[in-house]
Amino acid sequence: MRWLALILPDLALQTHLRGIAEPGAIAITDPGPPVRVLAVSHAARLAGIQPGHSVPAALAMLPGLQLRPRDRMAEQALLQEVACWASAYTPRLSLDPPDGIVLDIAATLKLFGGADAIEQTLHEGLRHQGLRIATAQAPTPLAARWLARCPTPHRPHVPADWQARLDALPLDLLADGSDVSPASLALLADIGLRTMGEVRTLPRAGLARRQASAVIQTQARAYGETPDLRTEFVPPPSYRSHLPLSWPTIQIDPLLFASRRLIAGLCSWLTARHAGIDHCRLTLIHERGGEQAIDILTGTPSRNEAQLNLLVREHLGRIELSQAIDSLAIEAREPRPLVQPVGDLFGDPAGGREHASMLVDRLRARLGLEGVRQLRSRNDHRPERASQAIPFDPRPSRSPPIATQRPRGDRPLWLLPQARPIADPARLRLLRGPERIETGWWDGQDIRRDYYLAETPDAARWWIFQELDPPQAWFVHGYFA
Amino acid sequence: MSTATALATLPPGLVWQARQLAQQQGPVLPTGHAALDAELPGGGWPGAGIIELLHDHPGIGELSLLLPVLCQGASRRWQAWICPPWQPYAPALQAAGIDLDAVLLITPDNPAAALWACRQTLASGNCSAVLAWLPRIDNTGLRRLQLASEDGATPLFLFRSRNSARQPSPAPLRLALSGANGQLRIDIVKRRGPLSHRPVLLPYASLMHGSSCAG
Repeated sequence: MRWLALILPDLALQTHLRGIAEPGAIAITDPGPPVRVLAVSHAARLAGIQPGHSVPAALAMLPGLQLRPRDRMAEQALLQEVACWASAYTPRLSLDPPDGIVLDIAATLKLFGGADAIEQTLHEGLRHQGLRIATAQAPTPLAARWLARCPTPHRPHVPADWQARLDALPLDLLADGSDVSPASLALLADIGLRTMGEVRTLPRAGLARRQASAVIQTQARAYGETPDLRTEFVPPPSYRSHLPLSWPTIQIDPLLFASRRLIAGLCSWLTARHAGIDHCRLTLIHERGGEQAIDILTGTPSRNEAQLNLLVREHLGRIELSQAIDSLAIEAREPRPLVQPVGDLFGDPAGGREHASMLVDRLRARLGLEGVRQLRSRNDHRPERASQAIPFDPRPSRSPPIATQRPRGDRPLWLLPQARPIADPARLRLLRGPERIETGWWDGQDIRRDYYLAETPDAARWWIFQELDPPQAWFVHGYFA
Repeated sequence: MSTATALATLPPGLVWQARQLAQQQGPVLPTGHAALDAELPGGGWPGAGIIELLHDHPGIGELSLLLPVLCQGASRRWQAWICPPWQPYAPALQAAGIDLDAVLLITPDNPAAALWACRQTLASGNCSAVLAWLPRIDNTGLRRLQLASEDGATPLFLFRSRNSARQPSPAPLRLALSGANGQLRIDIVKRRGPLSHRPVLLPYASLMHGSSCAG
């Protein structure tokens, strides 16, 4: 067993400051009572404000201090998001509330190049997402968590003397991530204990008698004496992430930057679910309320970050931003099983440098769904109904096979959407015909026509017809291009 | 030794003589018409680059000329038709042996988007051929398309009016099409090779029946 604990220090603060380069003096308050400062930004810390101060005291020290109430829902959501992202590195991980995740990395050590590499990847990946983390590894999840709480520089990744290190940890950590009550902690502190090791030397029966059995159990789990069972994290069935921008903007570049971050999160959720999506929705939330939704469609299920980013760029390049955008959200439902493309051992003979469906996705993103269509033929004798252009559909068609083997060349390659009256039929020379088409009486769209192949003085060949009903007018319906 | 014999002794391809057709770089797609192949460098449509088809009247067999090459494109995914003036008639394409699933009808609503779509389809390398109708394309646009077409090794069949024959164009092959007595008359406006004074005449009957690959 090898556990890696990942802790988001000052989670309440990070939730508020994520992605903000220079936040200024901000304090997060815990809606008590009494209302107290829970976490402070760097600028506020420099002014002398510490977690635990009362709000009046903090404001007295720094009148310009911005106070933000703690948002537990957002903290939960952030922790879930990080867990989703981290599940790309191991399938076995669990949330460790209030502010951590523990990952069992024993099975994936080799795949990701060792413990150091995984730890580094986690740090770097989350730094790109604007998050600061602390990590540590140990044979039990609780020990990993406690060690991550007290980072020591240049420690070996799993210290051989990890139990001795636990012994040296301060007593307060006992309550961190466990169910040790503050009363038990106070009891231990009152009898003069300062470290974990000192607690371990106490007689257990005595502790149990003083309602402190939770202390014994917690320590047993941390030191690996009793098993520590965790509930595995299951990625949620749908994904939603919300990212406030540093400041409202109508520029495309900051939006692209922010959307890349959202898509990175989306893709890690998909990786965790071993799935792809063919539809997601990016919502631009305006400064003054109101929002604008962009539907991003891919032809085949995909979790290719570069492809999704490209599609977002095409969409954003197309829309008009009337108001400043304040925040972005991305939403995806219905992850689909991903079909891995089958590679060719000798390279793609066609020289296609990207997946063929990506081209269509990009065209559709820029031109809209009506801009890219496909042809379908239908078994109908009425020429205008036998051919249809429908919006692109990635599934292969079930075009009906041609019912009868018609002689080729009797249907034109161009069909006019509306038959055009011929002003001077006498100029045309009839080459072939008539072919009578008299059908459609059942749905009120009946036609009664005699079709001919005719040649114009320019030697162009038209497909023309004469109405059988009076006034027996002549029309051109297609060109033999 | 006379100049002619001296030239004849040189290895082929080293010196190009103006009365020979140029060697076509890269793959060549047979047109399906022997008379036309004989007049084109390499003996067919170039596998990359713009091929301009200049004509004024629809219905002279301008699309039928391409049916053989459109039927061959099975190795790549798509066939893009960009801004077609009318809707292609599905039963006729099917009867000619074209796979309807491969045909993409791309109809952007403005010329800039059309040019963009054209470049994307060409450069992606996923199309066996791109057919485009861009009436108001300028020389810069043409040059970009030519580069995109070479980049993606995809031929672009560009339909323009006969008037544009007078404009210079970076396209390596320009053909003027007209109808004459039940025949499609092809005047070669530009090719890599000597000027052509003799038009290629293809009877409509051979365009419609003899060339299609379905039978």
